[in-house]
Amino acid sequence: MKRGLIEWNRTELPTSVFDARLSRARTALAEGDLPALLVYTDVWRSNQARFLTNFMPYWNRSLVVIPLDSSPVLLCALSPRVYPWIKSVTIFEDIRPASKLMQTLDQLCAERHWRKLGVLDLPMLPIEIHSRLGAIEAVDVPSKEICEPDAAELSMRRRAAILARQILEEQLPHGANALDHHFVGRLEREFRSAGAEDLVIRLSPSGAVPRPANGSKLGASYSVAVSLEYCGHWVKITRASGNTQALRSRFNAALESGEGLIENLSGPLPFEAGPGAIFALHVEHQGLYFGDTCAGTSAL
Amino acid sequence: MTNAINEHRRRQLMDLMAKRQWDSILLYGQGWRKDYFRALVNVNYSGPYAAAHISRSGEISIIAADPWDRELLTGLTGIRTSAWSAPQASAVAGLELMEARFVQGSPASATADIEELRRIKTPDEIECLKQAAALADRGYQYFADTARVGMQEYELVAEVEGFLKSNGAEDNFMLIASGGTEVVGMKPPTAREFRSGDSITTELTPQVNGYYAQICRTLVLGDPSPGQLEAFSIFSEAQQAAQDLIKPGIKASDAARAQNDVFRQYGYGDYTGSKYTRVRGHCLGLFPDETPHILEDVDYVIQENMVLIAHPNTYLPLSGYMVFGDSLWVTADGNVRLNTTEKKLFVKEA
Repeated sequence: MKRGLIEWNRTELPTSVFDARLSRARTALAEGDLPALLVYTDVWRSNQARFLTNFMPYWNRSLVVIPLDSSPVLLCALSPRVYPWIKSVTIFEDIRPASKLMQTLDQLCAERHWRKLGVLDLPMLPIEIHSRLGAIEAVDVPSKEICEPDAAELSMRRRAAILARQILEEQLPHGANALDHHFVGRLEREFRSAGAEDLVIRLSPSGAVPRPANGSKLGASYSVAVSLEYCGHWVKITRASGNTQALRSRFNAALESGEGLIENLSGPLPFEAGPGAIFALHVEHQGLYFGDTCAGTSAL
Repeated sequence: MTNAINEHRRRQLMDLMAKRQWDSILLYGQGWRKDYFRALVNVNYSGPYAAAHISRSGEISIIAADPWDRELLTGLTGIRTSAWSAPQASAVAGLELMEARFVQGSPASATADIEELRRIKTPDEIECLKQAAALADRGYQYFADTARVGMQEYELVAEVEGFLKSNGAEDNFMLIASGGTEVVGMKPPTAREFRSGDSITTELTPQVNGYYAQICRTLVLGDPSPGQLEAFSIFSEAQQAAQDLIKPGIKASDAARAQNDVFRQYGYGDYTGSKYTRVRGHCLGLFPDETPHILEDVDYVIQENMVLIAHPNTYLPLSGYMVFGDSLWVTADGNVRLNTTEKKLFVKEA
């Protein structure tokens, strides 16, 4: 659950990055003769709205509307009391209260005389929203047309991957024979102190797939998989204790052959099975696991 | 079947299917809302989707998108868990959240029925909530012990998160704020450094074996101002009014009104509405913000063995945003406070 540091470092991610991304979205709108793009976002599925506006609902869900010819609008289910904070960490100037998301969207469409909308990944909309688009003609706009990773995205992911690797490799020896809860607590403290926004940690003694901590002892050989969100950018790194030379060799071979467990990290969700422009690759050898976040043919 | 399967719930679902004339129910879980799935299969999956299908005869099958989750679920339930595919069922719990691409045919929504079943906790569920409340108490003490002038909000959250996870929390829902009368609500932590005189507010909601319990307290660094003390006395009286009232048969609206009337009595009725606050409490369980919400327009009748928090959290010009609340277990003739943390305005030398 999101409760880490959420901020917008304009040196890391200048406003011009979002200008370029919005421009790409508007080009797709113009080509499709669409007046605006609708982007759904919730506490777990926040990658796309974050990519386009740096907005992430730490709780609840919201709709981002990107008009073809005016500034983006946030239809926000969070309290207006947090709008000043939202404005401080996103590109939004126009935020509208939307405890009833679809009613507020209907009002905006009526106000702007929109009869159709582009919807980013329309089939992935929650059915509650999908079924209430009603009189509005909804046109699917696949995210791969708009949200393909750019240089800034790759740079942020690389930063996140470096952070994850560094902390995990420093902390890994402390897991030996530890209670898994204690080790996860240690990792949470270290990662969140370093600015992690969200974390999913899975770990296992040798011979088992990584899973959430359950109060058992790790033993001498173990694997730890950390999915880390840093400033809205997810990476997934898995490391094992001890001599991992064979695992690393297997990983490098898998990177060339395309074998191993592959997860898409550049889609709407933090991670999902299947290939992607940014992906996590994991391999197993003798009951231990190794993995990293990659783009193209190399780890980030 | 193992205890990863909630046998009580399985029987409830079979009864529900007979009553509604449904052939099957799907309990749909995704990354944000795992609670519908965990209502039947109480396993903490990590991937994007997991769903449990139960037939009218009570047979359960499970699908999960993440291969590591599949091994975990198979191992803990004894049920071979299959790869994700668009699932079919007569009714779906969590249907409203389900991605359009996964909806097959026109299933009925079982969401409201399942939420109603979940509101009344079994003895096993109450035990989990007691453990979660005890961890919330320990977590808050750690929070108060650790906060200090010069520390940044997110650093304190990192420490508390580490403590809670070390002590067995699966998850934790937490909001925080710090400052003075300029603070109007809580949010995720920022890089703001704590200063002498700050109110530091938090909702702490650890999850133990699937179940969330919550505590809300306010900590002042340094000597509290007259405004902070006066505000806290109002919050304390309001929370106690709800705690004194809550028992089977009263309405959620009664519990909200009891709290708001205290604010009105002191001339702060304007600060009980949606401009300054969200809810005056909510139910707890497999989701940290279960319905019904405690609001003056919610006429849901409270029942025995519900667990809820009454918290009159709001902004007051006396102090800025302040929070105070405890998890309450509704018993036959009243309620039992599950938290044991002292009911006071916490003060720490700056």
